Amino acid sequence: MGRNRWNLPDLGFGIGLRTVHYSYILANHPPIDWFEILSENYMDTGGRPLYVLDQVAERYPVVLHGVSMSVGSTDPLNLGYLKKLKALADRTRAHWVSDHLCWTGVSGINVHDLLPMPYTDESLRYTIERVKAVSEILERPLVLENPSTYLEFGTSTWSEVDFLSTLAREADCGILLDVNNVYVSCFNHGLDPEAFIDRVPADRVVQYHLAGHTHKGTHILDTHSDHVIDEVWSLYRRSCRRTGGVATLLEWDENIPSFEVVHAEALKARRYRGLPGPDHQRAYGT
Amino acid sequence: MAPDLGNTQKWMQAVILHPGSDRQAVDSAEARKLVPPSRFPRLIRPSRTLDSFDRIGIYRGMYLARLQEALEADYPGLRHFLGRKRFSDLVRGYVDRYPSQSYTLNRLGDGLPEFIRSSPGIVRKDFLYELARFELLMSRLFDAEESPVLTPEAIAAVPPECWETARLKPVAALSVQALRYPVGAYLEAVRQGNPKPATRRKNHWAVVYRRQFALRWLDLSRPGYRLLHALVNGVPLGEALSGVLRGGRHSVGEVQLFSWFRGWVTEGLFQAIELEDPA
Ligand SMILES: [Fe+2]
Repeated sequence: MGRNRWNLPDLGFGIGLRTVHYSYILANHPPIDWFEILSENYMDTGGRPLYVLDQVAERYPVVLHGVSMSVGSTDPLNLGYLKKLKALADRTRAHWVSDHLCWTGVSGINVHDLLPMPYTDESLRYTIERVKAVSEILERPLVLENPSTYLEFGTSTWSEVDFLSTLAREADCGILLDVNNVYVSCFNHGLDPEAFIDRVPADRVVQYHLAGHTHKGTHILDTHSDHVIDEVWSLYRRSCRRTGGVATLLEWDENIPSFEVVHAEALKARRYRGLPGPDHQRAYGT
Repeated sequence: MAPDLGNTQKWMQAVILHPGSDRQAVDSAEARKLVPPSRFPRLIRPSRTLDSFDRIGIYRGMYLARLQEALEADYPGLRHFLGRKRFSDLVRGYVDRYPSQSYTLNRLGDGLPEFIRSSPGIVRKDFLYELARFELLMSRLFDAEESPVLTPEAIAAVPPECWETARLKPVAALSVQALRYPVGAYLEAVRQGNPKPATRRKNHWAVVYRRQFALRWLDLSRPGYRLLHALVNGVPLGEALSGVLRGGRHSVGEVQLFSWFRGWVTEGLFQAIELEDPA
């Protein structure tokens, strides 16, 4: 069992379920610990995506990860969306449901981006109430991820990590700690990523995200387009020492290589968490 | 006074959605109402390397790029025909008028065919409108419910005297189309990397459907179209067949009709046979 306060299980080392890998997964049933699925891609379809998802959920543990909950938005909650999300979580027997600490639009519009919150008392109070409401509708604790951000509001009076930690405590939600996002945001804002990692309340961390990014010189973009860099692995190791290690997931969304390459990248995490094999070779018997 | 959360979000969204430059966006009437431009450098803090405009500019750039990528995936034919620049202009015009209001990007392009039809100054509008409608249809069929497929056993179980009034229920992922341009062939050619597929007007008929989760289409003759169109719209088999047999100039023989019918059943176009309740 994990060490988080809900005893949510340590699912091991997974990757995000992506269309380009569907055929491979169905044909080979690769020895992977678990999959994270992008909730919105399976909500309004009766076609192949749902068929594949049912097969995957039958065989592997699944976690739902969304991008459109917009929990920080001042628009009313989209109840239709939350109902579908809950139905999908029930259908797949998802271990938990996550989204981001962000807003994605206002006035009925969706910008389809993870937009940053101003870290003020007002937005903290507001978001706490929203997270509580969502958890009640979903009938399970919500898990929130720290997004990559590219700007800071001059009105913020909290640091991101303290805002997130307080929110998690007061609204009783879990944290999906995206270690790459910590690195990206801290680079973009000139902050110390180790200090961020050290301030996250360890008993709230339910899951990790790892990913590659694109360095533009003046700033870093969170593109999920490459291998994880060494600095991010070090941050991951540092955080695992505090949490004891929890479910870990590798995200790869652009220039996606073969399933085996993505899985191998995820399995590297074992080493940084201080675990012995089975490594990638052993998993595939090569 | 600091703007409240709602105002900050409305302001940031107005700036992201604005089609002009970063400066014009911050200076626009809608943004100004919420945050005076003089406050902007204090609201969005500069970093060591980027000023406030650069930083909000990252979100502005990603907004259009993301929507364009989504529409490109749904409309590869349109993208191919228009080329990068004209497609990008089309997307800009479209999302300015119809920003996304859904939690899913899958529905973003639903209004694109109508947008093309109602926009002035679009070259080859008739062709593009039909191409866009066809691509939207493909997306809808991709996501339609999966249906069971009519089995030979179910067909064999129909008493001969019941065929006359039987109705055939099509699978959910199916649409019968009368087309004026070779849009299906155009898409196929684009997929195969043919740089210049034909776009000349050509009246033709087709059924588009999904089988084993793959989208396909089958060309139909005109009477074939009339028959299948009638069947999928719930016309009883006998009535649909006699309609085509009486089809004047386009009439066809019974042998031909039954061969089509068998072919359609084998292709999995129908999910069930509905028999009339015995009186
Ligand atoms: Fe992430």
